[in-house]
Amino acid sequence: MKLAFALAAATLFGTGAYLLLHRDLVRVVLGVVLVSQSAVLTLIASGLTRGAAPIYPLSERDVSDPLSQAMALTAIVIGLAVTSLLLVLVLRVVQAFESRDIDEVAEEEAEHDAVLERRHAREHEDEEAAAR
Amino acid sequence: MTALALALVIPWAAGSVLALLDGRRRLVGWLAVAVLAANLAALVVLAAQVLSEGQVAATTGDWPAGVGITLRADALGVLFAVLSSLALLAAAVHEVLDGVRERAFPGLVVLLATGLNGVFLTGDVFDFYVFFELSMTAAYILATYGGTRRELGAALVFTAVNLLGTFIFLLSVAGLYHVTGTLDMAQAAVRLADVDPNAAILIAVGFFGAFSVKLGLFPFHFWLPTVYTGARPAVAAILSGGLANIGAYGLLRFGGELLPGELALASTALIVIGSASILYGGVLAISRRTSSEMLAYSAIGQVGYVLVAIGVGGHVGFAAAILYSIVNALNKTLLFLTVGMRGALVGAMFVLGALSVAGVPPAAGFIGKLELFRAAVESPAVLVLFLVGSALSFVYVFQIYQFDFWRGERSGPLSGWPQQSLVAVIALVVLAMGLWPEPLLALSHDAADVLARAAG
Repeated sequence: MKLAFALAAATLFGTGAYLLLHRDLVRVVLGVVLVSQSAVLTLIASGLTRGAAPIYPLSERDVSDPLSQAMALTAIVIGLAVTSLLLVLVLRVVQAFESRDIDEVAEEEAEHDAVLERRHAREHEDEEAAAR
Repeated sequence: MTALALALVIPWAAGSVLALLDGRRRLVGWLAVAVLAANLAALVVLAAQVLSEGQVAATTGDWPAGVGITLRADALGVLFAVLSSLALLAAAVHEVLDGVRERAFPGLVVLLATGLNGVFLTGDVFDFYVFFELSMTAAYILATYGGTRRELGAALVFTAVNLLGTFIFLLSVAGLYHVTGTLDMAQAAVRLADVDPNAAILIAVGFFGAFSVKLGLFPFHFWLPTVYTGARPAVAAILSGGLANIGAYGLLRFGGELLPGELALASTALIVIGSASILYGGVLAISRRTSSEMLAYSAIGQVGYVLVAIGVGGHVGFAAAILYSIVNALNKTLLFLTVGMRGALVGAMFVLGALSVAGVPPAAGFIGKLELFRAAVESPAVLVLFLVGSALSFVYVFQIYQFDFWRGERSGPLSGWPQQSLVAVIALVVLAMGLWPEPLLALSHDAADVLARAAG
């Protein structure tokens, strides 16, 4: 059972990490979702006991660890919130850049740097000319 | 106990209300500033209590101890909490004086303060994660503040990378719970001593990765320059002066208290990564021509010192790391706020911050560097590295000073007097800490004692 959980969590994390490296922003979001699911699965798997549902009054048999379930629930809620935030962010980026390709966003950054670079080069020329 | 509850409830309740109001109105902005000031006051009262009477602890919801979530304030936690809320308050006042541009800004800063307080004042690992995510979520939205294409692009990178970091943290929390059977930090620290070293090392690596991403250490730094240069000055000050403290605090708390054995094992690796950070940040900062870019790379270099001090370890190393984190957070708050300002006082205040970054007396940075040298006195290689790093930082800060203030490359309207005096007040704090360092030194040693006691 441990092995099954470990394999499933590892596959989720691996797939998520792979998607995160994509250029397409929607895939990046999906990657984050998968990584968060992998964390939730690990939380569930980290429970110390297994057995009946931990509902009061407790049954005679062993109950499963309620703490890891509480943690997993919290993590799912937080994961949902950050995913929706990330989706909104991607939506705004898509609207602003009219593209969902991360390269175009990076290009903008590079252009900004190039503009600064050119401005400085020009000013240095001015200075050198003044010095002469 | 009351102060502990107030420090969490005030910003939480106020933040939820402020988030609904239109932050562009001056009144709402000043309301947020008042809340942050009240929050700071509660933390100062709490700090006084902790320093005179020792750790203050409480269990939430009247649960018996060991079942409910524990909140605890010790010297290390309150020190970072006070520092971060000071940085947040300064940045908020700066932005409100300038005129807030988006309705969510005041509410978000207050909610970020809640998250930071929670992170620094909790004694429960999973609670730490929840508050960590709360402050990060506020920060993701703050990173878009300004709303131009550059900020949006930067915020996207920031969010994606840091989400991965927090999920890696969560994976380590799951691992920690599985091997120790507890989420309480004090209990986990005791039980981790008997855990299979292989498992403990894996957990430690996860925590280290998560906090390094937050701090922007060398191999995890790639998101940082884009975000710090893309964001508005006040937001950059909040991120580097307030939020980045989570990274330093987390490394100290989880490394120094929970996993001291693993920390000692990784000592050399930490020193190497820290050194790489110092050199990389320093060299790239020299190649930059604008103050915000220089500061972004300088931030990468400066956290390298903190990591090296943690790697050296022991009481002296931890005290140096704590002191340097404090000084660095103040420097960065001061310098990021001066970006884009012009006026009679701005140049002088920039110089004070620059002296502090370079570690020249009488600024507080000198004390920080002195403690670092004291910590590293036994290894000549680290001493040489600190010297080289300091020389690099001296060059990059004053190079930018020349560009900005002698050649007059800063253009735009003059900043108003209220804003200039605010920056002057922060600069005077930096100066005062350098001239009268005893309280700060005593505080950082008290905080390091907490870790030394926990490590036994």
